[in-house]
Amino acid sequence: MAEELKNEEMEELLEEEDSQKGKFMTFQTGKEFFGISISYVNEIIAMQPIAAIPEVDDYIKGLINLRGKIIPVIDVRVRFKMEPSEYTDRTCIIVIDVNSTMIGLIVEKIAEVDTIADDSIVPPPSLGRKEHEHNKYVYGLARTGDAVKLLLDPEKLIRQEEIEAVMEDIRKED
Amino acid sequence: MAEEFNTESMLDMFLYESGQLLEKLEGIILEKQDADCFDDSDINEIFRVMHTIKGSSGVLMYENITKVTHKLEDVFYYLRESHPDDVPHMELVEKVLAVSDFVTGELDKLKNGDTPDGDEHQLVEDLDEFLGRLKGEIKKQGIQMPQANKHEEPKQFYITPVAGDDSHFYRISIHYRSDTQMSNIRAYSATYALKEVAEDLLYTPDDILSNEASGDVILAEGFHMLLQTKSSKEEVIALIDSSEAEEINFDELTKGEYGKALAEFGREDAVTIDLGEEDKAEEKDKKKDKPQPGDYVVKTKEAGKGKTLAKNQPKQQSIISVNVEKMDALMDLIGELVIAEAVVLQNPDLKVPGLELSNFQKASGQLSKITTELQEVIMSMRMMPLTNVFQKMKRIVFDVSRKLDKDIELEVIGENTEVDKNIIEHITDPLMHLVRNSVDHGIEENAEDRTTLGKPAKGKITLEAKNEGGKVYISVKDDGKGLNKEKLYQKAIDKGLIENKLISEFTDKEIFRFITLPGFSTKEEVTEYSGRGVGMDVVVKNIQSIGGRLDIESVEFEGSEMTLIIPLTLAIINGIVVQVGNSPFVIETASIKEFVRVGEDSLIHEPSGEEYIVLRGECYPFIRLNERYDLADSISNVEEGIVVVLEHEGSQVCVLIDKLLQEQEIVVKPIPPYVKKVKGLSGCTQLGDGSIALILDIAGLLIQDGERR
Amino acid sequence: MRILLAEDDFASRKFMDKQLSRYGECDVMVDGEEAVDAFLMALEDDEPYDLVCLDVMMPVMDGYQVLKAIRDIESQRGIPKSKGVKVIMTTALNDERNVKMAFELGCEAYAGKPIDVEKFEKVLNKLGLI
Repeated sequence: MAEELKNEEMEELLEEEDSQKGKFMTFQTGKEFFGISISYVNEIIAMQPIAAIPEVDDYIKGLINLRGKIIPVIDVRVRFKMEPSEYTDRTCIIVIDVNSTMIGLIVEKIAEVDTIADDSIVPPPSLGRKEHEHNKYVYGLARTGDAVKLLLDPEKLIRQEEIEAVMEDIRKED
Repeated sequence: MAEEFNTESMLDMFLYESGQLLEKLEGIILEKQDADCFDDSDINEIFRVMHTIKGSSGVLMYENITKVTHKLEDVFYYLRESHPDDVPHMELVEKVLAVSDFVTGELDKLKNGDTPDGDEHQLVEDLDEFLGRLKGEIKKQGIQMPQANKHEEPKQFYITPVAGDDSHFYRISIHYRSDTQMSNIRAYSATYALKEVAEDLLYTPDDILSNEASGDVILAEGFHMLLQTKSSKEEVIALIDSSEAEEINFDELTKGEYGKALAEFGREDAVTIDLGEEDKAEEKDKKKDKPQPGDYVVKTKEAGKGKTLAKNQPKQQSIISVNVEKMDALMDLIGELVIAEAVVLQNPDLKVPGLELSNFQKASGQLSKITTELQEVIMSMRMMPLTNVFQKMKRIVFDVSRKLDKDIELEVIGENTEVDKNIIEHITDPLMHLVRNSVDHGIEENAEDRTTLGKPAKGKITLEAKNEGGKVYISVKDDGKGLNKEKLYQKAIDKGLIENKLISEFTDKEIFRFITLPGFSTKEEVTEYSGRGVGMDVVVKNIQSIGGRLDIESVEFEGSEMTLIIPLTLAIINGIVVQVGNSPFVIETASIKEFVRVGEDSLIHEPSGEEYIVLRGECYPFIRLNERYDLADSISNVEEGIVVVLEHEGSQVCVLIDKLLQEQEIVVKPIPPYVKKVKGLSGCTQLGDGSIALILDIAGLLIQDGERR
Repeated sequence: MRILLAEDDFASRKFMDKQLSRYGECDVMVDGEEAVDAFLMALEDDEPYDLVCLDVMMPVMDGYQVLKAIRDIESQRGIPKSKGVKVIMTTALNDERNVKMAFELGCEAYAGKPIDVEKFEKVLNKLGLI
């Protein structure tokens, strides 16, 4: 029986993967629009009470309780070194799953799900300027309608953290 | 269904018993390794162990095991009958261990479902040669040669069930079109065709010919078959008439899945049993009841049911083995239950003023009592003595000390101390490392080095476990060289592992802790047993991952003591929830000494900004949690807040909090690894209202506090 | 050699029959009582079986009862233990308690299902049947 289920699940997943191709969850932060491939997105939830964790980087806002599962949330604005904004009733948390790590992204406003064709994605211009912090996590630009959307690479977003964390550890031990 | 009958199969029993015997054997050997010879009772015991394993392996036809144990039994037979002097004891010990290792290896293969195919020839030859010398010695000493040890070939054999390697297992489900006529006959012809190739075939409904109504069942629910056969999938499919079939599901199963499926089908291996109330009562009286001939007479099949036994099979079992995963699942569930209980009992809906709650309180009191008991029971189920772990350590001391040619005595204290099973899994490797270190680095290379210091020539390692205050202490103590502080300091400086401070600025403990820094290894050369450069730091990491720590004591030339301090269990603690600012924190109840309210005049302000509190003449370091963790909207006036006095390992610290919320059982969850470790926090938990509280780690707070000063 | 097989399940019976027929003539019974009858009849005719293979879970009499009956009949007729028929239980009931009981009742071998054909043959060899 287990086998059967697994197969079905696999098929479902595969199908999903297929239908998810080229789809992006887009959201607005400040004046800029960002997109994240929908295959990473688990769900979108309303803003929740967040338990702050002391002594962590400012963009890690704390922990939320997602139906018994405790997951960290980060503020995308702060992550990109923008001025933090007040949370309003439009503020949402996008729960993403990157290689089995669940993380919530606090965003100002959810825009929509966009289909973006591969060929309309161009790599970000490398300006070599430091203030564009978010460039580290943007792997492509896409023009849809009248807006340019910055497509985020969540894996990079996560990996970067880990490296930073390890570096931090090493520095401390020294 | 089958799971209710968690009875031991013949093979399980063999594995279990032999495993036990071998453990006992190793125990004897390691205890007597340093003696001059085995005494009579040891010889008898080893003889008996070999005899038993030889016998049962003979019945199960594991011939290599039989041959090896047979030979060793012979050796001990001559020792028992003739009592020769001058038996090369060390060699004998080695022989016994070699046999024990061989058999253990074969048993492991069986456990993994492999064939025990180890080659016994070399071992048997060695034993033969040894036996030959032993006999020669007996003759030389003029002792009468006993009659040859008689061996009886087993007369009864047990053939362990095995699926032929080329057997396949399938589950086939046929759904006929709803207008199919006489679907039961179609189904029957399918089974008939399969019987040609079947080694085993089972189907449901199973009364397809005798019961015409079964046709409707087949149309509604489909016709399901379990098939064991040597034929390939394609061959089987070709045999099934698919003309009226709407859908045929065809799954290949593993043997295990097939067994489970058989159980679902209600088949021989998983007999349907109706235990009446009466029988249950009876059962208690006759615990030792054995199956009797006649218990397994099969009643004629009833429509739609599996085979039923005419007589109820007595069901009794005093010990059952349970899959650890199931235990863990139960543990998790109970953890969730505890949370759910808190959610109900502390529900804000209950806080309506004037609500009459006395009945609710009574009932909830009862509920709490039961959940507490439930927790205790599951905890006790998971507790295991350290005996096995310590046994392994004995073997390591034995092996390593012989390889390094050091004379070492091992003393074991408190091996019956019980700890949670998952903790045992986590401490075995670290402990092994510590023991190896002690043998390799701790004890002096030459006995003269010891005697000149007035120590006995023989080194001593003490392995001790004890249970104190909700923690388990496991220490590895040696009376060897001890740690040389200057050397450690110099090395740490040379390797750039520490800041450039004078040695006098470090406390002894801090210096000893250098050895746990990554990239530190005191021994110049890397040896086979320890000092691979990844050593103590890994030990410390492993121990920390389960909330424990490593304590190091050492006096140069006198020896060292490494103590692992680990929690009894990982999952649930008793905690007090406190609030600072807007954040709730949990403090483990065991570490709280008292709560006090103090006046501003009890505070001492150092010019450096450090603060101390004077309580009853004693001076304690003082931490304002709100400042330490930068928490807004909190009380900063000491007189308005509450001071908690915390104790950890004899050091105390006072912490200022805003208010106490409640005491409750806390299910510890790790902080998601994405968030880097914060010193002073050991985990988080979900409170009754669903919010998250961080758990304070007193040890971490103290260390951090120490570092700041 | 002469073989008596008692097995009520069709598929198992067919499989066992095929296996056993390699070693000799195989009579097949479908319940316990028939098996005892066949055993007695063979004794009467002075053509006793060399090997009896018994399933445990069978209608009318189970395999253990058949085994006990066979041993009782043999001792009643003064057939010495060494001359008794060789009995192999073939069943999926592999509990240690069941196996021990069958040994006490006096079977020569106990084969767990599914049967390991190779080992089965080895046992026939050890029992001096082939």
